[in-house]
Amino acid sequence: MKVKKIYKYLMISFGALLLGSCTSTEVDAKFDENATDRLSGRKKELNDLLLSSADGWKAVYYTDSTQLGGWTHLFKFLPQGQVDMASDFTIGTDTDTGIYRSQYEMQMGSTVSLVFTTQNRIHLLSDAGNSPTAALLAKGYLGDFQFYYYGEKNGEIIFRTNRNGHFLRFVKATAQDWTDLAKNKPMITSLNGDMFSPLFRLMETNDGTATHQFEFDYNTKARFGTAYSLEPGSQEAYDLAFAFTPTGIVSKLPVTVKGQELTDFIYDSATNNFVAKGTNGVSATLKFTNAPPAVTDDYKLFLSGKGNPQIVVGYIAANLTTAPTTSDYFRYLVNRLNANLSAGQSLSRIQMYFNTAANQTYINYQFVGKTAVNHIVTSSEDPVNKTIILTNLGWATGTTAADVALLREIDNELTNSKGLYIKKESFRITYSNPIYTLASASSSFRMTAYQL
Amino acid sequence: MKIAKIYKAALMSGILLLASCAHEEQPKESWLDFSVPNKTELDKWIGVNFLDPYNINVYYIWNQNLVDNNRYLYPPKGDKVQPAMEVVKKIWIDSYSTIGGADFVKKIAPREFVLVGGINLNTNGTVTLGLAEAGQKVTLFQVDNLNKKNRANVTQFIHTIQHEYVHILNQTKPFDEQAWAKLTPTGYTTSWYTAAIATSRNLGFITSYARLSIYEDFAETAATILTSSKAEYDAILASVTDATAKANIKAKEALVVKYYRDAFNIDFYALRDEAQKNTDFVINN
Repeated sequence: MKVKKIYKYLMISFGALLLGSCTSTEVDAKFDENATDRLSGRKKELNDLLLSSADGWKAVYYTDSTQLGGWTHLFKFLPQGQVDMASDFTIGTDTDTGIYRSQYEMQMGSTVSLVFTTQNRIHLLSDAGNSPTAALLAKGYLGDFQFYYYGEKNGEIIFRTNRNGHFLRFVKATAQDWTDLAKNKPMITSLNGDMFSPLFRLMETNDGTATHQFEFDYNTKARFGTAYSLEPGSQEAYDLAFAFTPTGIVSKLPVTVKGQELTDFIYDSATNNFVAKGTNGVSATLKFTNAPPAVTDDYKLFLSGKGNPQIVVGYIAANLTTAPTTSDYFRYLVNRLNANLSAGQSLSRIQMYFNTAANQTYINYQFVGKTAVNHIVTSSEDPVNKTIILTNLGWATGTTAADVALLREIDNELTNSKGLYIKKESFRITYSNPIYTLASASSSFRMTAYQL
Repeated sequence: MKIAKIYKAALMSGILLLASCAHEEQPKESWLDFSVPNKTELDKWIGVNFLDPYNINVYYIWNQNLVDNNRYLYPPKGDKVQPAMEVVKKIWIDSYSTIGGADFVKKIAPREFVLVGGINLNTNGTVTLGLAEAGQKVTLFQVDNLNKKNRANVTQFIHTIQHEYVHILNQTKPFDEQAWAKLTPTGYTTSWYTAAIATSRNLGFITSYARLSIYEDFAETAATILTSSKAEYDAILASVTDATAKANIKAKEALVVKYYRDAFNIDFYALRDEAQKNTDFVINN
């Protein structure tokens, strides 16, 4: 190749280089400011926003409304990175709505986030050691306390939570919100109940013409429950994720009755029920009941005069005190009884003999360190409510007045005039013996017993 | 003019043109926020007691980059931080400083302590008490639960630090891994947590966790001795019924003692006594 040609090619490529070099590489700016400026701007914007509300902010934090309810939090942001906080989170039976101070920060990462950097109430939702269900072992309540700033809309601050990416809205709080928070407590207590509350929960819907019953399986810690239809063949079921208000409950997930979505359950102190009302007579009611949602015919095996063979069931303190079907009220009565015994004595068994060879039915109370006591009864049925009613026939010879007084509370439950619901359970405890539960129709007394 | 010359002139002017098109913005001051955050009394205390003398920082303010974001953890209670770090200072730093020399901890130490209030529960039901990462960072969990007046509680807490610090020492100077691995080679298991402690001891391990690997075994052996009085340690040995197992635990103890002497010129038993003295001091004051 000639030198001239080489030059020519060189010049052409050089010319191309020249043309290219002066091309403006500046892209049309999508933003007026650079990324750092924008982030610092957002940080200031969020902080100003947080500080701007005189009575702070309120957030009902649903950490995962497919399995958990919501917890109401109030925040009052103060200068120098401090924040006052209150929540209606419940530990055990204690709902502490007091106000506590801690620190917060705006942290910069891929975007600006609000972080509650020192311990306060919101961290209770993020405690690996305190989970409301077995499925959430080591995950607490799935709570976050780092929230990514997403923007402001209609006066609400919108965040996304750090781990789960859920939206969380801060709405402006009022002075009323702060005084009202403590009023959530009686609502929480009413729904959770105590040992005297009836054992079963029902949801009853009214579509304007007929009522429908649902068994309501509610987890008080999770604030989440599922209502299963009790109508044969019906698969209807509703999940309910609760947050509390001074007047009742709000469910994030609605109950649909006749096309109406019901979410606001208002507490009715007269009946202790929570009622969500729609229009045209439509409503949904949450209530407690002593009657099991599904009553069985198992009691019939125990009736006398029906040709039933002898059957014996026994509560054995050593094995059945902690059974999940033993009610708190039963345990409470047993503890009271034991407290009235001398040192070293305690109730060891309550054995119930039905239709013995001598055609007797009696309750046999056994003790550690004390002679057994027998209470002879007769049995009859309430065929409508499906209960067996045990009626006093007399205490066995040798029973003292002190024994009768000692056993009165428990004995009154077993012989209450409305009778006992009896259910053969499907589970076993320690031994292979079938388990029966005997529940009072007039209180929250439920005893767990082996078939012996 | 020859064509070559024309080209040459064009080339020169072109280069000038190229240079003229380049204009760079000179860097100005930083965009980043370097303002010093407000220091609380606690921050100042940490500065005086850890940061200044030992170049160790203590993080009690939450920063998700310092912990496993998949875990449900939270910052410690504010009033628990100083008591916890006082325990760390007295039982760990002061004991090593007295026996190993005033500069010992200054030279070999984690540079960061991360404090977490709650329990670090694993989904298999086990609990992680502490973590040491790359010899730089030690994370302590359950700071909220520390009760300075309760010896068992303080011992468990300090066991975590002693354990993690042994790892850091090992990362600086390795122990005799070959000799160690020969002692109880078949006892190591990843499902260590299913074993009762008495079972593990009768296999020649001081704790069940020691059965995870020889490194955990070494750290557990050293930490258990450091957090037990001589009488308590003797009681542990006395509880081991299997003669081979007892001999193996003693052989491991000897390797630990040898390691401290050869690698750091530290009398391990003197260190143990000093740590016990300081533990008594913490509980009684």
